[in-house]
Amino acid sequence: MLSRSAERLYWLARYLERTENIARLVSVHMNLLMDLPKGVEMGWQQLIDINGCRQSFRERYNSAQERNVTRFLLTDPTYPNSLFSCLGYARENIRTSRELMPDEAWEQVNEMYLYTRENLDCITSRRSRVLFLNEILEGCQRFTGLLSGYMSHDHPYQFIRLGRNVERADMTSRILDLGSLLLSESRSAEMRQYESILWMNILQSLNALLMYRRHVRSRIKGDDVLNYLLLDKNLPRSIGCCLAEIADCIERLPNHDALSGKVVELENYLQSIDMQQTTQLQLRHILDRLQNKLGVLHENISNNWFLAAPVETALASQTQTCSEQK
Amino acid sequence: MSSIWQNYNTENAYDELMFSEFQPRAVSHGLCQYLNLLNKEDIDKRKTAAELAIIEMGITFTVYSDEGNIDRAWPFDIIPRIIDAREWRYIEQGLKQRLTALNCFISDVYLDQNFIKDGGIPGDIIHSSKNFRKECVGMRPRYDAWANICGTDLVRDKDGVMYVLEDNLRVPSGVSYMLENRVITKRVFPELLQNCNILPIDDYPTQLHEMLSSIAPDQNSRPQIAVLTPGIYNSAYFEHAYLAQQMGAQLVEGSDLMVDDDDCVYMRTIEGLEKVDVIYRRIDDDFLDPEVFRKDSVLGVPGLMRAWKAGNVALANAPGAGVADDKVVYAYVPDMIRYYLNEEPILPNVKTYLCSDKEHLDYVLAHLAELVVKPANESGGYGMLVGPHAAAKEVEAFRKIIRKNPRNYIAQPTLSISTSPTLCKDRLQPRHIDLRPFILQGENTFVTAGGLTRVALKKGSLVVNSSQGGGSKDTWIINMENN
Repeated sequence: MLSRSAERLYWLARYLERTENIARLVSVHMNLLMDLPKGVEMGWQQLIDINGCRQSFRERYNSAQERNVTRFLLTDPTYPNSLFSCLGYARENIRTSRELMPDEAWEQVNEMYLYTRENLDCITSRRSRVLFLNEILEGCQRFTGLLSGYMSHDHPYQFIRLGRNVERADMTSRILDLGSLLLSESRSAEMRQYESILWMNILQSLNALLMYRRHVRSRIKGDDVLNYLLLDKNLPRSIGCCLAEIADCIERLPNHDALSGKVVELENYLQSIDMQQTTQLQLRHILDRLQNKLGVLHENISNNWFLAAPVETALASQTQTCSEQK
Repeated sequence: MSSIWQNYNTENAYDELMFSEFQPRAVSHGLCQYLNLLNKEDIDKRKTAAELAIIEMGITFTVYSDEGNIDRAWPFDIIPRIIDAREWRYIEQGLKQRLTALNCFISDVYLDQNFIKDGGIPGDIIHSSKNFRKECVGMRPRYDAWANICGTDLVRDKDGVMYVLEDNLRVPSGVSYMLENRVITKRVFPELLQNCNILPIDDYPTQLHEMLSSIAPDQNSRPQIAVLTPGIYNSAYFEHAYLAQQMGAQLVEGSDLMVDDDDCVYMRTIEGLEKVDVIYRRIDDDFLDPEVFRKDSVLGVPGLMRAWKAGNVALANAPGAGVADDKVVYAYVPDMIRYYLNEEPILPNVKTYLCSDKEHLDYVLAHLAELVVKPANESGGYGMLVGPHAAAKEVEAFRKIIRKNPRNYIAQPTLSISTSPTLCKDRLQPRHIDLRPFILQGENTFVTAGGLTRVALKKGSLVVNSSQGGGSKDTWIINMENN
């Protein structure tokens, strides 16, 4: 398999996963805000913070109201991590990798892109925004299912899985940042009152609420939620599970010797974390380290498999992740 | 007849489907019967469905002058063009005969030049051709097949005869659109396809793969085949990707390949370097290898010619094959068929005036307003003059250009090329069409069942190129005998 193709598929998967994550984040957040009373320090600004894009947002909009934030995150073509931009990059990457995939995969991404382009305006109304987000979430799931059922699980497939899980782990760590808000010593009385709703929201952003109930079987508590989302081996969006998937992909790819050790290292670091009684500061610190390590892992992957070809990487890797610091 | 046929005029040219507004030809009976059961709304629904399918399938092409929007939806007319299988068998023979003679000619040009020595063609026509590559002299590609993939343009004149308009031997494109057109038609008219006895076309990728395997240098192992594309900004990128995907071959760009000290070609993969045996290149000779041809080419692979000449990689089409893709050389193809095959040409050429010939030149200059003048080496319908449709000023400008460089121009009578019913708004109108079948030659010779029918969508226009407002149609070869 060509190094260039491997890189494009890896980024295709990252951009699609990012698309799906944005859609889910916005969708869950909308639901949450309907439940919360005014005055809780949780609003649309938090969505900007999770994505680490405060500066990009400020450059374009004055205030973090619903209208601005949703437009920025979903349809703003000038913001490279908006859902529409990500979908555009995903489409460009798959358009140039069509020979490696079943036709339906291209058609699925192309349809989603065209659908989004047609509906850029309708996200201002809450009702049509809900429909829009559902359509995107379903589209992303169809894509994943289609590859799982139609595509040979060979090297190209493993690069897609790899990209998806690197992106997913990164996003989960960002969503957990929300938790640090809930651990703040100075949080308001209202916030304390609605704490369990907010933890539920975090679980829901990762499609993990029902699974949590079944597996943890306790009332929803901060440290249990954090432990579950970091360490659980079976929940698809827990960081532990993403790392296990990454390790498995790497084992199935050729020339992986240099990488296996690095993943084991990362897994060991993760297992050493215990969230019982963690303070806000400790959590911040852990998540920062985790995100840095994921960044290094991405670089290792890239050096190991993609750099063989002196390509114009502009197409494949528009922007790495949301690299702005909060 | 239903109103979509209203005022269908077949008087100005041969119509492929209709004798007149009221009378379909035998091959189009089934189609016409079916269309008559549909009202305007039904037709409109099918047209919309086809447009939607094209956008969803992402069938696109690129126009060079369009900036920003790099791919455009493929313009497609849902009404198929139909040819009787009995006629097709005859055309198929003619196409095989023609490509065989052309390959004999290219081999001869780069080996002994007997055709020139025997007075078949003036030597300076060959040596002044910009597609004659001296680097290729003495080469012997497998089966002496230089042009492995050929797209031959056919048109039917008012007399009902199919003429060969040109042979595209460099990097002919369009075959993916031929295949996709059928896929769309199957979606739009499933009922109809089942009832007509239409020859299938979807084995082209298999045949292409087989041909490419047959020219691999080492016949003892399964060859690694790659399609070499100039990249996503090329107008035919869609096709390159499509063919690579359909054949299960690698789609590579120049930067993915390298030639090592052992004169073998390798591609850069996640497992390190991997040897490539056959390259279906979709890059012109000029850009193929900066060591040999244009130094500024970033599309090609340095050392590729070295590897080819050492016999370590097969290139399709072979470098230098374009020498026969020249509108001046074209005029000599009937003689080549007689010379190399000792046969009479099955398919006639269009009468061609060579401006390099004094007598011809005089005739051309005196009759510019009736003729079509073409540059010898351009493709895509660029830089040509259609006398009867041109303004007087344009004709005069051409007169100067031709005088300056007569070798570079040929002229042909303006054919009244045939028409076929085409959906224009809510009615069927005759529009001019041509046909590009694709011929493969390696160990064996293969011709597509039909080809790509291109249609000039503008009323009266004779230019069918997609880059200049043309569209395309599905082409049906119908077997009437078992119907």
